[in-house]
Amino acid sequence: MNITHIDELERIQMPDGFVWRPVRSHFGIRAFGVNVYTPSTPDSQIVEEHTENQLGHQELYLVLRGRAAFTVGDDSFELGQGQLVFVRDPSLRRGAVAVDADTAVLAVGAKPGEAFQPSAWELGFRASQMEPREAVAYVEQYMSEYPESAATYYNLACGRALAGDPAGALDALERAADMDADAVRKWAENDTDLDSIRDDPRFAKAVGA
Amino acid sequence: MTDRAWETARIDEIPRLGKTWIPIRRHFDIGAFGINAWTAEGDGDEIIGEHVEQTGHEELYFVSSGHATFTVGGAEIDAPAGSLVFVRDPEMKRKAVAREAGTTIMAVGAKVGEAFEASAWEVTGEMWPLYEAGDYEGGARILREALERDPDPALYYNLACMEALLGQSEQAIEHLSRAVDEPRFRETASTDSDLDSIRDDPRFVELLSPRT
Repeated sequence: MNITHIDELERIQMPDGFVWRPVRSHFGIRAFGVNVYTPSTPDSQIVEEHTENQLGHQELYLVLRGRAAFTVGDDSFELGQGQLVFVRDPSLRRGAVAVDADTAVLAVGAKPGEAFQPSAWELGFRASQMEPREAVAYVEQYMSEYPESAATYYNLACGRALAGDPAGALDALERAADMDADAVRKWAENDTDLDSIRDDPRFAKAVGA
Repeated sequence: MTDRAWETARIDEIPRLGKTWIPIRRHFDIGAFGINAWTAEGDGDEIIGEHVEQTGHEELYFVSSGHATFTVGGAEIDAPAGSLVFVRDPEMKRKAVAREAGTTIMAVGAKVGEAFEASAWEVTGEMWPLYEAGDYEGGARILREALERDPDPALYYNLACMEALLGQSEQAIEHLSRAVDEPRFRETASTDSDLDSIRDDPRFVELLSPRT
């Protein structure tokens, strides 16, 4: 059935303190990005601090209930139920902290002038909740539904390295490095997830060390 | 219109167009997706008129306050505040009726696989101030321009009203005939005083008769 209530949405608790309540993937929406966020503790993060530089999305946030303290660029302000903030500029850093424990925020996003594609971070967020083997199986099954990204292949490399598949990990790492060598070099530098493949010659070649 | 990097608004303070339409996308000039809200004045009012998505949009509705009953593809859906209702198929008929005065529903929409373009029917927002100022020629011009992009029934309905007010009966009847396949426009037309100048025309009576 294509109806649900915000309180019935799945809860995916993220390390920053916010809880991702997936809406787009719940319904299988393919035309725009949409999610709900709630706090894990009364005054925790509710909207992750981030920019939209990679995706180029315009974002609209609506406080569904409660109150949240937003920071957008250099500005800070509190918004209550029924208040909207539209962030046109993808490069502006934005985030929010819950003021009330039952606060819920809806976010809608897409890039002007381009057909929408689901954001690959959805894969990473979900996989981060799973054991390595499960995460690898999950990402392998669903990655074709998302645009290819260096981050997805990099996370796959980490998962495979942890799950005891060094050859698969190196394949994924090489693929990630082909897509964004600079980012992969930075990510891989001190990432213990990759320790089991760090001494392989293919590793040094992939990360340009 | 603005190019500000960010801005805020309260849903209930965004200037309405007509009594019920809260044009969120236009207010912020959002270029990436469609988003609007509608609010009901009374219990039992139709908030979302029955329609299919001629634009081909996927639509997500969110009941931000009050309580509504949706009818989607013939199925009734009870939707208290906080409910999300997704309609994937643009061809599926959908509508929503308020169960409480002041019920507000937001709708987000865009087309799968295509860059977003603002829907032609949104120009009725530009038409409204002209209509209220009695500039029916100006209103009709905006609607005709939009109809060149998109043959939307709401645009045809409003154009028929402008033409009826201008005494252009033939055009008004012709354009009304392109709107009334949608039941909501037959219903609205039955009491809309804008159309009084053509109400006694036998063709008008025929246009409003129930479809078999």
